[in-house]
Amino acid sequence: MVPTDSGIASNLFNIGAERLALLGKHHKALMQGYLDGFIDETAFSEGALKKLIAARILWRPDEQQPLALRPLVSELIASMVADENRRQINADVAEKLEQIRNRVQAYRDAQFKGDYSVAELQLQRLTEHVHDLSGQFEEAIDSLWHRLNSDFGFVASLDDKIRENERAQKQLRRLLDGLDLLDFNELIELSEGNNHLRKLLVSQLQNQLSSHHSSLLEVQKRLVELLAKFRQQQARSMLIANMAAFLRQHPKYQPADYPNRSELPALFNQAASIVPQAAIALDNASDRQSLAELVRALPRYQPVKLLDTESASFSSVMVDDEIAARQQALKTDVENFYLRVIDLGGKLSALEYLEQQALEWDSEIWLYQIIAEYQALPLDEKQMFAIVRDEAPASNMNQLLLIRDISLHLKVQGQAA
Amino acid sequence: MLQHGPLLERLLAGDFICQVTDEDAFRHLSNEQTQQDINHYLRPLNRRLVSNDDNTVFFLGYFDLNKAAREQLSSQFSLTVQSLLPLLEWLQLVQETLGRDSALTAGDTIKLQEFVLRTEDNQSLRHRLNQLASDRFFNSQSEQLDNQVKLIFRRLKEHGYLLQPHHDRQYYVVTGKIDYLIDVIRFIRDEEHLPVDDTPSQEALL
Repeated sequence: MVPTDSGIASNLFNIGAERLALLGKHHKALMQGYLDGFIDETAFSEGALKKLIAARILWRPDEQQPLALRPLVSELIASMVADENRRQINADVAEKLEQIRNRVQAYRDAQFKGDYSVAELQLQRLTEHVHDLSGQFEEAIDSLWHRLNSDFGFVASLDDKIRENERAQKQLRRLLDGLDLLDFNELIELSEGNNHLRKLLVSQLQNQLSSHHSSLLEVQKRLVELLAKFRQQQARSMLIANMAAFLRQHPKYQPADYPNRSELPALFNQAASIVPQAAIALDNASDRQSLAELVRALPRYQPVKLLDTESASFSSVMVDDEIAARQQALKTDVENFYLRVIDLGGKLSALEYLEQQALEWDSEIWLYQIIAEYQALPLDEKQMFAIVRDEAPASNMNQLLLIRDISLHLKVQGQAA
Repeated sequence: MLQHGPLLERLLAGDFICQVTDEDAFRHLSNEQTQQDINHYLRPLNRRLVSNDDNTVFFLGYFDLNKAAREQLSSQFSLTVQSLLPLLEWLQLVQETLGRDSALTAGDTIKLQEFVLRTEDNQSLRHRLNQLASDRFFNSQSEQLDNQVKLIFRRLKEHGYLLQPHHDRQYYVVTGKIDYLIDVIRFIRDEEHLPVDDTPSQEALL
């Protein structure tokens, strides 16, 4: 079983190297096969296919089936690219332990016979098995962390995430059970009287496994937390959907009068708002300076003779009381719009305001009146507002600009503090 | 107390304070000593700090439940009840439109433009949005999708469910007030034994 003959070893070397090279040579087509789940046979020559099958890279699971990657090759790729959908976790510890026991026995036998080269080789194999065992846990832990840190993002729906999380927890339990199979008293016994074995089986393996054990417990804790979070999200989605359905079915539904219960539920104790107001006070002499500055910064009020600058002159022509009243209402609304611009200090779109306030004016009339009002302002007040027209050509052929909307904002004044 | 001036002002104005709306203030409010200080300060105003079950959001309630307070609470409660269905429908609509696998929670970001784009080409989403926008709670008069969506989001911002981090950028962050809404719904459900499940049935689990 052990290749002692250097001829066999070099033969193994040649075959292995050749077959590994095959993987590299066809890397793109093989990777595509990994993603598709089957191999596109037209991508290979007949000879290449034969070689890949002989190298146990490809196989045909069934007469009717297309060629596919062998499971071990798929697993290798999944592990290399951390593809959590396909990555396998191997929690089988019993088999590995058995191998370790056998190797120790073979090693001791060879030493007993004084066959040191064989003993050396057995020790080498034993070291590999020990590393395999530790590596198996490391790979599994890496995969678990990877899934955890990506919030199980490799599956789309919350239900799938919950299932994946539960699957991960089962794997984790198997891994922990596997760790329990390792009996360190047995390992100590196995390595008795031999420094190499003690170092390998006791100090090294024990150290690694105890760190794996604590990693696994940490992962387990986090998996349980994440599952709770998933379940909470799921519960929230269901509550929202079902409550909405209930309210739709019972439009007249009215809950009990909680606000008037003697024991008021805290959730419904939502007080009315209090907005603190302050006014100018003159009793504090030290404030006078800043107050004076504020007053100076106010725009001057100059009495304007309205008749000279009547904006929409047609209002005077209108004799019908009703129309005049509507005209006045429009003017008032436009004035309110200007006041709102002043309050806001920022940009305000005329049409948005119209919609927001649910005013009934036709948008075109609304815009006209805003422009008219703007034109009617005295020059110094006009300078306080910046009017921006949102215009577009009437059509590709017609360069006439149509106003779609107007927005107004207060110009920042240099002297304002 | 001086350092909490702006926070007190926000609380008094009826704001809900959570980790999203004001991280610093929220941290202060989570401190028991600060809670006591603030309650002490608010006592003459007949106010006290209230939080939801999970302490993820704070707001002000009455200290003494006198007649005037009860009246105000009653009208507040009927507003809350009226807003339940439109808010729930909005939550569902956002979840479906954006193809999310879970309901919105505090801290989630919604891009307005993405929401509009996805609704635009889908007749059934478009229809539902149209209905939602004309609900009394949102009260949109417009027929245009863009205006309807803007109005819906603005109203939700005014009601404190959404935060707009930049005034001129159309993306919104869900605040902890959503947690409050869910708590209210759960409370009513439990209290009135409504047939509203929030755990998957046994068959669904298997």
